[in-house]
Amino acid sequence: MRVETTKHRTMGAAASTAPDAEFVLRVENVSKVYGLFYALRSVSLNIRRSSIHGLLGENGAGKSTLVGIISGQRAPSSGAIYLDGINVADADVRAMEQAGVFLVTQEPMIIDHMSAAENLMLGIWPAKGGFVRWSKLKADAARMLKDSGIDPDINAGRLNAVARRKLNILRAMFSGGKVIILDEPTAALTVPDRRQLFDFMRQLKNDGVTFIFISHYNDEILEICDAVSVLRDGSLAGGSEDIGSMTSAQLSELVLGRGLVLFQRERRSFEAEPVAVSLHNVVADDVDLDRLDIRKGEIVGFTGLPGAGAKELAKAIFGLNRSRSGSISFEGKAGQGLPNHPQAAFDNGIAYLSDDRRRDGVVGHLSIAENIALSSLQRRALFGFIQRGEEANLCDGYFSSMGIKAPNAAAVVNTLSGGNQQKVCLGRVLATEPRLLILDEPTRGIDVGVKQDVLRIIDALSKTGVSVIIVSTDTDELVRSVDRVCVFRNGAIYETLTGDDITTESLRRLAQV
Amino acid sequence: MSTVTTTSIPKEAAAEKNAGMHKMIGWILHNVVWIWLVALVIGFGMFNEFFLTVLNMQNITVQATVLGMLGLAVALPLLVAEIDLSIPANLGFSSAIGALAYSDLGMPWFLAMLVGVGVATLVGFFNGLCITKLRMVSLIQTLSMMIILQGALLALTQGKTLTNLSDGYVWIGQATTLGGWPLMPLILVIALAVVGIMLRMTILGRSIYAVGGNPLASNSAGIRVNRIKIITYTIAGFLAGVAGFLLASWQMAITSNQGSSYLLYAIAAPIIGGVSVFGGRGNVVGILGGVLLLTVIQVGLAITNVPSFYVGMIGGFMIFIAVAIDAIRVRYFA
Repeated sequence: MRVETTKHRTMGAAASTAPDAEFVLRVENVSKVYGLFYALRSVSLNIRRSSIHGLLGENGAGKSTLVGIISGQRAPSSGAIYLDGINVADADVRAMEQAGVFLVTQEPMIIDHMSAAENLMLGIWPAKGGFVRWSKLKADAARMLKDSGIDPDINAGRLNAVARRKLNILRAMFSGGKVIILDEPTAALTVPDRRQLFDFMRQLKNDGVTFIFISHYNDEILEICDAVSVLRDGSLAGGSEDIGSMTSAQLSELVLGRGLVLFQRERRSFEAEPVAVSLHNVVADDVDLDRLDIRKGEIVGFTGLPGAGAKELAKAIFGLNRSRSGSISFEGKAGQGLPNHPQAAFDNGIAYLSDDRRRDGVVGHLSIAENIALSSLQRRALFGFIQRGEEANLCDGYFSSMGIKAPNAAAVVNTLSGGNQQKVCLGRVLATEPRLLILDEPTRGIDVGVKQDVLRIIDALSKTGVSVIIVSTDTDELVRSVDRVCVFRNGAIYETLTGDDITTESLRRLAQV
Repeated sequence: MSTVTTTSIPKEAAAEKNAGMHKMIGWILHNVVWIWLVALVIGFGMFNEFFLTVLNMQNITVQATVLGMLGLAVALPLLVAEIDLSIPANLGFSSAIGALAYSDLGMPWFLAMLVGVGVATLVGFFNGLCITKLRMVSLIQTLSMMIILQGALLALTQGKTLTNLSDGYVWIGQATTLGGWPLMPLILVIALAVVGIMLRMTILGRSIYAVGGNPLASNSAGIRVNRIKIITYTIAGFLAGVAGFLLASWQMAITSNQGSSYLLYAIAAPIIGGVSVFGGRGNVVGILGGVLLLTVIQVGLAITNVPSFYVGMIGGFMIFIAVAIDAIRVRYFA
């Protein structure tokens, strides 16, 4: 069917001539059944006009299914969705977009080699007889982008993460968006970027746009949203029309169905422990490090702005970024050059968990078992042949000890939720039995429950004598999980915090200058 | 405008039945190459009695041997999400080198054959180097290599057909075993088995699938991506060299455009057999299916009374159907 809205191709909210002035979108008893599995069970919620409505839930709780249904990508098995009082349960994506409902996904749909202006009007280029009207396109784009700080002529590939997300939101608005669904828009954003995005959203909200905001972070929901709904196992676990009445602990309890025990590592001094890894005079892209010692069993946090050297040093140690000079030594032995390839790093007992599992963490179409074994094939092989029995034991071991939720280890990784994919990645690097484990944003994009699991696994590992580096911009995570924090600036360690000096406030102050 | 949707529970039993049906159709489509193959064999058999005779079956296995070797060779770069268009040209060029090493340089035929296969292997290795170290785009690099090798073959043969081949050299192409079955297809069986074992059971094989699936993740996982790509190109070159030897041995001649006619079929066979052009997916059983399907279509059309002007078109349609069905499978049943 086709929803009867043709007049809303302008920015801002429709005039409230609709029957339901208070709620722009009402979801009533929506269920989605796959075979015998209920992905959603009779979910109802009301979204107030010109508000930001938070949607929380664990990976697999049904958030994606719900917004998929609202945006018309899939049809509900039963139930109704009213947009301005009109039932749109049968509308497809096209009809919903014409009606003003847009889903902005995690991965911004941006064509890198086109300009920001062209991207803004992707597919809706103003045309006359098949020819693009460039002057109109440029003028419209310039008007739309005026307040966003994005140059219309810039090549989209050169835009940073926050600008790309803004561009996507603006595109939705330019197409007449009045309800915009943002699926984890803050993933991979730094704190200042996030602030900028939130200001942008508030500004649009005041112009009459309604947002549905999906996030894993309670503090983000509490900061930006007016109301919140929490999904758990496909059902509505609860929510609030007034976000001011909610606390972070209450949200976590709704998400998990139980009180959340936040993990906190017992920090101690490692002065007396032997040095496990020692770095000297490392020079690489964005890195110029004098010296760093990491002791046996110690967890060291690296933090700083992008380009300040935290992430870059981690990659250089693992051989993903080539270092120009510098040496690494293990357990007080003679120094050697830094690895020139991840394989050399693994051979030296260094393992690295990528910050972007989809890009370079998992091989999606291979099974869980094949992914777990991938980095340790060499050492478990005989004349180049994979030892199947040993491989199976290894994978079963990590499959269960990581608590990966899947039917079995033969399941294809693409079918898993983000949190479980992250556990597969972690299993893969742990299977190499490293003495130095480098974790780049280990809990990014995974829900609060799995996050505690991951932090606990890392903590337990360090107690077996493995030294760990956690690269993170999540200050709360650092406070809870490390013994020492190195704050990076200009490629070098600007300050080191230990013990009680590691607080959210001190980290924010030092890292975000 | 629609009314409120209120469909619900009683549908579940039907849904379950549908799921079973869906699964069965999925299975059929998954094995479509083999089902299509059987159907065509029966179909051709009904049109022409000769088709189902032992003699014709022997003919088909021989015809399938060279295409099979080439299909395997093409599949390996495809598995790492690259392509090698120069393989059939490499076949022709390397076999001419081998033949000339015997006839003009006076090498023993066996050594000359090895020289030919060695040259083919080196060409594959060189392709791999260009694509990894120089980061040349494989489609264009191997296209240019194809043109170079075709030209070089023409230059080597001066447009003539080489027929001065030793008896030892042509033996494998003519030899038969028990019951008159030709020996040559045995080479393909061995190659399929070795490549199959390599892909399934070795680190190299696992690395090939990983690199094809996600090169960045493979690199982070400690796999030397460039090395794996070079190895696949080198093996592909080796297989092309062996195919060149087999084709020359079978035909007892090397024409000035030897192998060129195989290009499209050699690429089509693995893809029909389920090797993804995007890398990371495919296996030797599928490749064999694709090779046999194409061979049956070719041989079948040749011996039924289809006027020769229509053979190309009908063959093309049959391939199209196979690929279309496979695309439907991926779209709805993957």
